[in-house]
Amino acid sequence: MITLNHLSKWVTVGGIRTFLLKDINLTIGEGEFISIMGPSGSGKSTLLNILGMLDGFDEGEYLFLNEQVHTLKEKHRSQLYKDHIGFVFQAYHLIDELTVYENIETPLLYKSIKTSERQAMVADMLDRFQMVGKKNLFPSQLSGGQQQLVGIARALITKPKLILADEPTGNLNSKQGEEIMELFTQLNKEDGVSIIQVTHNEKNAAYGKRIVHLLDGRIEKIEG
Amino acid sequence: MFKNYFTVALRNLKRNTTFSVINIAGLAFGLAVFLLIMEFVAGEWSANRFQKNYDTLYRLATTDKNNNTGYYIAPGFAPAITTKIPGVQAVVRVADGIGDGVLTATGANGNSSTQKNFRENNVLYVEGNFLEVFSFPLADGSTSLATPQTMAISENMAMKLFGTVQAAGRTVIMSNQFGNTPYTVKGVFKNMPQTSDIQAQVLLSIHTLENAANRDDNNWADPSTTESGFTNIYVQLGSNANAAAVAGGITNTMHRINSNTAEQNAYLQPFSNLHLGPDFSYPYQTYGSLKLVVLLLSVAVLILIIAWVNYINLSTVQSFTRAKETGVRKVLGASRWQLSFQYLSETAIITIVAALMAIVLVQLLQPVFNGFAGKELSLAMLNQGWFWLAGVGFIIVGAILAGGYVSFVLSGYSPITAIRGKIANSVKGIVLRKGLVVFQFSISIIFIIATLILYQQLEYMKTSNLGINLQHLLVIKGPTVSSENQAALNMAFKDKLAQTPFISKFSASNNVPGVGYNFSAAGITKLNPQKGDDKKNYFMFISDEHFFDTYAINFSQGHSFTANEAATGWSNAGKVIINEKAAAQLGFAHNENIVGKKILWGKEYEIAGVVKDYHHLSMHQPIEPVIYLPSVSFVYFTIQTDGSNMQAKISSLESMYKTYFPGNPFEYFFADDTYNAQFSAEQQLGNLCIAAAVLAICIACMGLLGLAAFTAKQRIKEIGIRKVLGASVFSITQLLSKDFLQLVGIAAVIAFPLAWWAMYTWLQDFAYRISISWWVFAIAGATALCIALLTVSFQAIKAALANPVNSLRSE
Ligand SMILES: Nc1ncnc2c1ncn2[C@@H]1O[C@H](COP(=O)(O)OP(=O)(O)OP(=O)(O)O)[C@@H](O)[C@H]1O
Ligand SMILES: [Mg+2]
Repeated sequence: MITLNHLSKWVTVGGIRTFLLKDINLTIGEGEFISIMGPSGSGKSTLLNILGMLDGFDEGEYLFLNEQVHTLKEKHRSQLYKDHIGFVFQAYHLIDELTVYENIETPLLYKSIKTSERQAMVADMLDRFQMVGKKNLFPSQLSGGQQQLVGIARALITKPKLILADEPTGNLNSKQGEEIMELFTQLNKEDGVSIIQVTHNEKNAAYGKRIVHLLDGRIEKIEG
Repeated sequence: MFKNYFTVALRNLKRNTTFSVINIAGLAFGLAVFLLIMEFVAGEWSANRFQKNYDTLYRLATTDKNNNTGYYIAPGFAPAITTKIPGVQAVVRVADGIGDGVLTATGANGNSSTQKNFRENNVLYVEGNFLEVFSFPLADGSTSLATPQTMAISENMAMKLFGTVQAAGRTVIMSNQFGNTPYTVKGVFKNMPQTSDIQAQVLLSIHTLENAANRDDNNWADPSTTESGFTNIYVQLGSNANAAAVAGGITNTMHRINSNTAEQNAYLQPFSNLHLGPDFSYPYQTYGSLKLVVLLLSVAVLILIIAWVNYINLSTVQSFTRAKETGVRKVLGASRWQLSFQYLSETAIITIVAALMAIVLVQLLQPVFNGFAGKELSLAMLNQGWFWLAGVGFIIVGAILAGGYVSFVLSGYSPITAIRGKIANSVKGIVLRKGLVVFQFSISIIFIIATLILYQQLEYMKTSNLGINLQHLLVIKGPTVSSENQAALNMAFKDKLAQTPFISKFSASNNVPGVGYNFSAAGITKLNPQKGDDKKNYFMFISDEHFFDTYAINFSQGHSFTANEAATGWSNAGKVIINEKAAAQLGFAHNENIVGKKILWGKEYEIAGVVKDYHHLSMHQPIEPVIYLPSVSFVYFTIQTDGSNMQAKISSLESMYKTYFPGNPFEYFFADDTYNAQFSAEQQLGNLCIAAAVLAICIACMGLLGLAAFTAKQRIKEIGIRKVLGASVFSITQLLSKDFLQLVGIAAVIAFPLAWWAMYTWLQDFAYRISISWWVFAIAGATALCIALLTVSFQAIKAALANPVNSLRSE
């Protein structure tokens, strides 16, 4: 599903090139569950953003479903994106002006799903994450953990083939974290959804079939 | 989907109240001004279009060798034009300016106790078919004025005279320079629309003047004359006729009938060019001014653009704070198009709200604007298919451009850049915002300079030494309803004036400065003329012996007429006074003593005096060569008083007037007011410029305020740190204001040459004009700078005064 060949990304500050990612080679098959680990600043979010086509890269190639990502037209890319990927941000990134309900509903709007169907899907999500009572609140009225849950719900609602999650459980208590991991495992096993998650937590990382260790923008090792 | 956009838009508007208010208010003001000016433009555009024969109607004009155009044509040519030239369907002669006088309506049963008198200047002598060729629908009676001593009056006039519009068949006595003539009302026409260039309250059959008894010795007014041009001739052509060919035919006919017209060519000015010419260089007179329309339209469009620029500026700045939302939406699957659509719908909402506010503003500002424009305008003027289309289309296109630009910029960033919110600092954004501020201030500065120069010129024209005194001069219109011993009454009235203690000086003349001369004439020469001298034109002015003294006009040689010369009239007295210009044009040497010398004008006239050149009319025109002719005169009485307690003096004059001239309404004006009325066009333009300048500055400042607030907010942390490090309020204010002031400086550099060029061109319209001085530019630049400084420093000081701990904690 995903192939990275000699992928590098850098920034040039004061004439000096600093690598954020260097010579990344990685192949991820359909239906895999992968965890990315590494110390803070090692480039995990950067890698995930590139995988999610949210950010560009400077060298190497990235094949998504056998298509060269960097040559894709913006329109085609956003189409691929819309159809296949759900993204969970490290910093949640909910839309401040929208309520919980509307935040979760938004991806469906862009997929032009009928109102009645939409309502059912959002209601189902709210129910699954036990947020029914909070559906009319704005993000600023939620705790960090609750916001994170909304972020996850929003990523899952379109039933994506690939879930990219940047520390999805960073702000959750361990019980909630476990529930999310169980949910991911269930999606992975039953629906064949591919999952790539970034985590600091060894226990959560273990849910993945493989664990990619990053250090200073390089792949240090791949477990499993 | 749309509901989602809508809720977000509304919540955003609510959250950023200041931005929203500034944004909407700026747009609303811009739109209001745009609408007001469009009303005016629509009015000008629709002029005369109500005429059913609009496409086949022409005004006959003549051009001579020197490209001078004429519109007053001798009425005697009309019959030949009607009958001899193929393609001519109808000819309508219309004489304006000669019929003014007093209408007297006798009561229904001839009861003179119910008789009413009204002075009316809007009187036309017209061809019998006037109401058939022109589309002025009737409210009562019938159209034909072919019979002598028939008339048609407007509904207004009918109401005034008879208290009803059902006035056909009634009798009105018209008292004017042609004596007192009874007319039968044939028709009552609906009041002529504002959009008509032909305006009248009273239409008198021109055939009345065919009878010498109805002309009272004014034989020049014989409708069969081919000598004196006092009528406009309108021609209606058949639908297949070629205007140029018909004009050629008219030229030949005129040459054949009167060889004096040999140097003149006829031209048929189509009605579509009667109000506004087809281009700026159209040589024929038009009732409206294409220049003014284009100027106003440019102002309107500029103001609207400024408002939109403001919108773009504030919206981009504001949406940078929403960049995260844009990025997230992209991640959630929004296509660029969908994002653009979202911003567009927000623009649409703001535009609609602004448009509604603009309509309210238009209602509020309408009376003021009508005062400026000197017209009765309303939104109803816009009620013409294509204006709505064009106006609404223009607004939509503008909104799409403004909103589209914002959305295009924002949706173009990669999601991560957008989410990290770095857009606001991107070079592209900064250059754009600066460019827009420079643009707005350039236009504001141009308007300020235009206003200053305009008022300077106006002030110059008003206060320059005119060579005459107009202060404390009251002018009374002489009687037009005459009785049998009129001449004796006039003299008696003058004697009475002479005995009135509060009158220090008075004179009688047939016209007054600031209004005009009496007629113009050629064929006036020295006894030994040079070749071509007889073709030179002179303006003739008829007055009594006190005119020069009353208006404080100085003699460079000789003296005024004697009382006896005035009493016998110029023809018998054989005396004239000329001005220096006329002396020069006659061919006398400068400073040559010419009192007592003779000139030829049919017979010999002796020069009694030479007056110093003075501005008889406004400084638009050069001083003309003038010849003054002695006469008792009783068209205008000019009275000099000490200017105090005028109300009492006027009412005492009124009662005097009524005893000598019963049946004549007492009408007066102040000489200086009338003189200054010549500047009303410039006064209007000046008012317009002030309004435009104030608006442009206001809107630009709104934008600046928004930008300053944004910058202050963005740099809040930096400011906090600087304060902690010991920076003073002043230095921080300076830090924040400096950039903006630089922009105003750049704007000034761009505006100066443009403004200079525009105003230089405008000044060329004046025969006497100011030179543009550098300090006007300095003042305009400084004004813009000060206003910008006030706006920006308000925000900057606020930011500088804020407690640093708060600002640091908030980051
Ligand atoms: N636009 C940028 N310019 C310069 N440096 C950047 C930029 N974006 C990221 N970095 C640097 O890249 C490195 C990797 O950042 P990244 O966010 O991927 O780390 P991370 O592994 O996700 O860390 P954490 O666990 O704290 O989330 C960091 O050192 C960061 O400073
Ligand atoms: Mg990270």
